[in-house]
Amino acid sequence: MTLDPRITGAIEYGQDQHIDGMLHARILRSPHAHAIVLSVNTAGVPSDVVTLTRDDVVDLEPLYGPMVKDQPVVAGDRVLHVGDAVAAVAARTPREAEEALELIEVEYEELPGVFDPVEATSDSAPLLHEGLEIPAEYRPDGRNVCHRFRLKSGLGNDGFAGAEVVIEESFAIAGAAHNPMEPHATLAYWEEGRLHLITGTQTPFNTRRDMAALFRIPEEMIRVVVAPMGGSFGAKTFMRLEPITAALARKAQRPVRAVLTRAEEFITVNRHPAQFRIRLGANRDGTFVAKSVDAWWDTGAYADCGPSVCTKGGYAAIGPYRIPNVTVDSRCVYTNLPPAGAFRGYAATQGVWASERMTDLMADRLGIDPLELRLKNLLQDGDRFATGEVMHDVRFAECLRNAADAVEWGEGRKNKGLAVMLKGMQTPSRTGVALEIDAGGHVVLRSATTDMGQRPEIAQRNLAAHALGLSPDLIVVGPNDTDLVPFDTRTTSSRSTFMMSNAIRAAAHDLRQKIAERFEVAPEDLVLSDEGVGVAGSPDLSRPLAELAGVRGDGTFVTPGGLDPDTGQGIASSHWHQAAASAEVNVDAETGVTTITRLHTAVYAGNVVDRAGAELQNEGSTIFGIGSALYEGIVFEAGQVTNGNLSDYEIPSTLDVPDFTYELLEGGEHSHGLGEMAVPVVPAAIGNAVAAAGHPVRNLPMSAESVLG
Amino acid sequence: MEEPDWHAPATVEEAIALKARLGDGATVVAGGTFTGILVANGLIRPQAFIHLARVPGLDRIEIGDELRVGAMVTHRRVERSNEIRESPWACIAECFAQVASPRIRNQATVGGVLCDADYASDPPTLLVALGARVRLKSPSGEREVLVADFIKDHYETALQMDELLVELVVPKPPRLVTYLKFRSRSSEDRPCVGVAVAADLDGDGRCRTLRVVVGAVSGRPQEFPDACALAVGQRMSVDVATEIGRRYAERSSTLSDVRGSAAYRSRLIAVLVRRSLEPLAA
Repeated sequence: MTLDPRITGAIEYGQDQHIDGMLHARILRSPHAHAIVLSVNTAGVPSDVVTLTRDDVVDLEPLYGPMVKDQPVVAGDRVLHVGDAVAAVAARTPREAEEALELIEVEYEELPGVFDPVEATSDSAPLLHEGLEIPAEYRPDGRNVCHRFRLKSGLGNDGFAGAEVVIEESFAIAGAAHNPMEPHATLAYWEEGRLHLITGTQTPFNTRRDMAALFRIPEEMIRVVVAPMGGSFGAKTFMRLEPITAALARKAQRPVRAVLTRAEEFITVNRHPAQFRIRLGANRDGTFVAKSVDAWWDTGAYADCGPSVCTKGGYAAIGPYRIPNVTVDSRCVYTNLPPAGAFRGYAATQGVWASERMTDLMADRLGIDPLELRLKNLLQDGDRFATGEVMHDVRFAECLRNAADAVEWGEGRKNKGLAVMLKGMQTPSRTGVALEIDAGGHVVLRSATTDMGQRPEIAQRNLAAHALGLSPDLIVVGPNDTDLVPFDTRTTSSRSTFMMSNAIRAAAHDLRQKIAERFEVAPEDLVLSDEGVGVAGSPDLSRPLAELAGVRGDGTFVTPGGLDPDTGQGIASSHWHQAAASAEVNVDAETGVTTITRLHTAVYAGNVVDRAGAELQNEGSTIFGIGSALYEGIVFEAGQVTNGNLSDYEIPSTLDVPDFTYELLEGGEHSHGLGEMAVPVVPAAIGNAVAAAGHPVRNLPMSAESVLG
Repeated sequence: MEEPDWHAPATVEEAIALKARLGDGATVVAGGTFTGILVANGLIRPQAFIHLARVPGLDRIEIGDELRVGAMVTHRRVERSNEIRESPWACIAECFAQVASPRIRNQATVGGVLCDADYASDPPTLLVALGARVRLKSPSGEREVLVADFIKDHYETALQMDELLVELVVPKPPRLVTYLKFRSRSSEDRPCVGVAVAADLDGDGRCRTLRVVVGAVSGRPQEFPDACALAVGQRMSVDVATEIGRRYAERSSTLSDVRGSAAYRSRLIAVLVRRSLEPLAA
């Protein structure tokens, strides 16, 4: 029996990657949230330590970013957040590098900062970026706004006139830290003008594209090898350490490795703090009539994927409901906080919190059972969502009923809460995959799906084995290297199982076709088995797989779509993540401490291809949700993180996790990603339960103190 | 930069001599859970470490008229010691068992938690309520100091530059001792508030003596004997418990941190002191 290399310690994560002679990088970071960089003086640094300042990157594109090019490799004239990179060094040991940082002298002139996304849009707020080129698909309408997603359906706000009851509420969600066990880690080296990156990333192809643009070289001159990640949760999405490490390696003419410390993790990328103002109009019988969502997403100093976050969170806050009149105005705003980016539960966590607390507040107002109110308004097959798209394979009610039953909703609602959500998948999206027979008689699966602990190879081997009619033992997953794997958009938004299942099916079909060509028979007459390849009715034509070495099938799966940024109309998602949760709590009325007594999630899984993996993903998501619900919030004071360590920033420990239950609802034609389905619904269900216990919470996390109000 | 020197003395005397000689450039390392954080975050940059792991005798637990626990005894050993758990000092084992997680408790020491004088700690609160003392040795001799006097303020103790804390001494506790750790967040969190109660009741259930100590809310554990005096000579009642709680809440100085604001802590003190005293009414 082969032991999992994670258990034996044999696995080499990003931070374990090593090349003889490599140097160790450290980054000099701004202590100020907003300041002019008057001078950077490296004269005191020993000559055997390589330094990188703004003078070393003048030949590069000045700015990079996955959606808006707004981030420099190291600061130019200004620093925009505490932790902004000002300079970097590479030395023989991490300690020498650390000591060299102290020898760099930087003069700053402090500027006023802004730390709230609503304030940042006011005329008096400092302007963080000037003269940015914002791509045409975004709407930088407003001060410090890098994108504004608007949606209007039906009569929009005029629709409230037709509602018998209208309520308006505000909600706030704190920033949160991803806290993967392994921090960000990147190793870079240049060989004959070609850049090699061995890096923990969920986005090898985005990284290759964006690095090529930054270094002004063709994509072919960059190779990204994905190291297995010791967790990511969205943190290792898009470029992080790659630009600065590659720039150092270029100057050093030696391999350079950068690994962040835990404290640096808190100032590198976080979850967007968000604020919502929501109006909901309904008739007295509970029928939803109109809804408006105003949202402010604090993307920090650099946009990163904020424009996409404000879009997806904008429509997630509508909820999976049939509402004839909807408006959304969702703003992605620059502030002087550290950048915010992708975070497990991508924008839905914030949107669902606001939306589902709102649904319960409306139920209270109307005196209608929250389950009944939801069931009355949930989208059904054939309904149109506010984006105009027609919903298919709809399971919201099924998920919600399953969740309600788990806490015996019918037996009484005291201390109980429900939540249901719709979450989109990255759309449009493209996935390529190849299946190649090797000389050993195995089928090598070439896939860019990255491993951040979810072990995607199990699901993908099962999918390939099923599609080919072989045993999974014969399928081998090849190295994740952009030189070897077909293009894939990225491993995010729980899209890989869905996209890969379709691409693998196509690749298997292609492989059979290619083999059939060799045999000069029709593909349907081909018999594939672990013993080899044969032709139906001709036993003497059988040949072992190894004899077909080199035969390769390719498959691609593409989903079209996208939303109009001004009207919000179009296709938000090629298929929907559908989930519900229920919770029962005890709240200590004198201390505000919430104890979860029951917790259940029901997620639509489609066809489960890796049972253990699916269950573990959902369990992890649930625990993640508990952290967001009760404990996790980054505290900023004037832009400075004041709880940037794992003592002051608390994640749930094993003892905090109740005996929760869950149901993976199966059915339909597809396999769905399950990486984050429970994350958004768990806080909302717990919040509604806390409210049902007499504490009408509005904000996340629900700290004991905030529950007391 | 010079690497700090690492000293591993083999006797208490050697350790004391080293500490006296090296002065404030040296940091004593016991379990390293606190010093490790300080060094990693660049908050201290000692020229030398004095590691006590090889000093014999500092890992002893002795029970006689008093409980004696060596400075290098880990939290986990206190927690798991059958000798302590089956003695009148069982409350000590229970209190140390509530600190952080097993991984930390396997490393953190009794001497360390007292010398750190971190306000957000559990054991000092209980130890003050029990009238515990620390034994300090220096080249010129030794002395004993009440834990209540030893911890002066945030990270500040009565320990002199040439002194080493070698032992914790705990008198025999009264009949009823409790330590209530209130966590506002995860179960592995430091205390948001700690309340220790040490009471002696007579045959009729009247309070002979009562000490209530509130910890983790300001620089050092706090105690208000005149508020406790309300209960002495009578049976505890919910009213008296509530009143003592109210007075503690009113008089305790409280601070704000990630675990709760000063106002929240004041509110909690009233609740938690009352809850700690209510069992005495039974």
